[in-house]
Amino acid sequence: MIPSIGILLHGFGQRYDLPISRYLYFVAAGFVVVISFVLVVVFAGEKIGEKAVQYPRRAVPWLTSLGRSPWPPAIGGVIGVLALAAVIVSGFLGSQKHPELNPAEYIVWIYFWAATVILSGLIGNLWYLLNPWAAIYDAASRFVPLRPAYRLPAIAVWPAVALYFSFACLELTSGMSNRPWIVALAALSYTCLTLAGMVLYGRDAWLEQCEAFTVLFRIVGRFGPVESERDESGRISAVYIRPWGVGLLKDPPVGWDRVVFVILMLSTLAFDGVIATPAWQDFDIALEPIWLPLGASGFFFIRTLGLVLLTVAFLLVFIAVMQAVLYFGSRKVDRKATVSAFALTLVPIALVYNAAHNYSYVMVQSQGIVPVLNDPLGLGWHLFPSVAGYTPSFALAQASTVWYAQVILIVLGHIVAVYLSHLRAGERFRTMQRALLSQYPMLILMVAYTWISLTILAAPTTTGG
Amino acid sequence: MSRARIAIVASLVIAFVIVAGVLVYANQSHGGQKVTIDVTVTKAGSMTPSDLTAHRNDTVTINIKSDTTGEVHLHGYDIPFDCVAGQTVSHTFTADKTGDFEIEWEETSTHLGHLVVTP
Repeated sequence: MIPSIGILLHGFGQRYDLPISRYLYFVAAGFVVVISFVLVVVFAGEKIGEKAVQYPRRAVPWLTSLGRSPWPPAIGGVIGVLALAAVIVSGFLGSQKHPELNPAEYIVWIYFWAATVILSGLIGNLWYLLNPWAAIYDAASRFVPLRPAYRLPAIAVWPAVALYFSFACLELTSGMSNRPWIVALAALSYTCLTLAGMVLYGRDAWLEQCEAFTVLFRIVGRFGPVESERDESGRISAVYIRPWGVGLLKDPPVGWDRVVFVILMLSTLAFDGVIATPAWQDFDIALEPIWLPLGASGFFFIRTLGLVLLTVAFLLVFIAVMQAVLYFGSRKVDRKATVSAFALTLVPIALVYNAAHNYSYVMVQSQGIVPVLNDPLGLGWHLFPSVAGYTPSFALAQASTVWYAQVILIVLGHIVAVYLSHLRAGERFRTMQRALLSQYPMLILMVAYTWISLTILAAPTTTGG
Repeated sequence: MSRARIAIVASLVIAFVIVAGVLVYANQSHGGQKVTIDVTVTKAGSMTPSDLTAHRNDTVTINIKSDTTGEVHLHGYDIPFDCVAGQTVSHTFTADKTGDFEIEWEETSTHLGHLVVTP
């Protein structure tokens, strides 16, 4: 028998989702194939060379004024710091027996991890405003001169990769993400690490290379429609609006660390869905003789092994496909730069899957914090008696609405990804024929990823799922 | 990007959205029926049957007989069944929310089964 820790999905709480109905699944899966080939044929050779990755954007003066104002970072910083404080205080002092009554669980797993990622994809990099550690550092540096004592070695963003993987393990493989005191301890530890890192190695160096969420939200923010430009002093000089997704074409950072980070985004999201399927439960049960005697650490081991294997499989498939892309592109290009640039074109698939997967979680379960506000620490308070009896509304999360939203999100994300990849091929491979040929392997990969997304959403869920 | 190309892709996407919408709403509920489900809970750890089903807008009556005193909780609908050993406790409600709702032995958070309400 699988212990109760085995039923955690997302970070905490229950999912009410029903699997997408079969007819919708088949219509969406078929449409993905049709639209993929239509896109390739319709847009073949439309843009070649540098022109291919140029995109329209429009300056928005009032957004520029807002960007230059000190108020958005100040307000965002206060919200971020208050949320962090709430996680630590309520995580340690609030209800431990009933995590659904503890604000720390809602703030971390729903409002931060699910909702902020979705909103950053829709709007732009919100973490730039909300990052509590940057806000604390900036506030402290007004009173105490902070000079970095050391320089970070040339380790690219590998520390951020490792910390992002650790966070994914806390959510998906530890079996402890629904223990508020563990969440609070993780938040406190990460706070100490990040503040110490910024003091010792410099604010920007630490955030850009080691702070996992800064790296993550910069990638997510590239998908968003808001783009800012800065002058030499780092001050915002202009803010533009652009179509969704095209920011992923702009000056892609180069390195295997960046590629692994994007693949981790895909694999961790997929894994959250995979562990809810009967197939995973069968795998769990088949390996019970190995992990069950080890108890909680055995559970952690088997889940982490699954996550690592899925990530390695995704990475190997991506590398193999990129070999084919480079072969058919048949032009001398910087391989690492090209692979890094194409990795970013997978981001829309990851983001729309994230939005589809978490749709009802954000719409319904997020409302669970409302009655908790009456007594956030479980001490018998009556701060807001009028909300104590609130029950979540399902108005925007009936199954048919959820299915419709999920399928449309997945298909639109797929279209954006295929189109971006097509433009990137035009930029790198410089002739219509080479760009077109190089796109067939990438197309197969994207169709496969999208089918995986749809299949997970259409799979029946198991206990707690 | 030429207008003709955008028009081709946009018309395909609109066609898909319409087809998906028609499929979703053509397969709406056959609900509105009266559904009565009798379940037995044994030793605060298992429930027979464990998978309960209904359609949206059905009027559902669940009768639970348990051999142990304690609370069986239907999540999502947030309905507590305060069981007394050997007696039957009933609740009737309208299944106005679709989804997969867990049923637990509340005190120990032991999973007993599901109520699946389909569109």
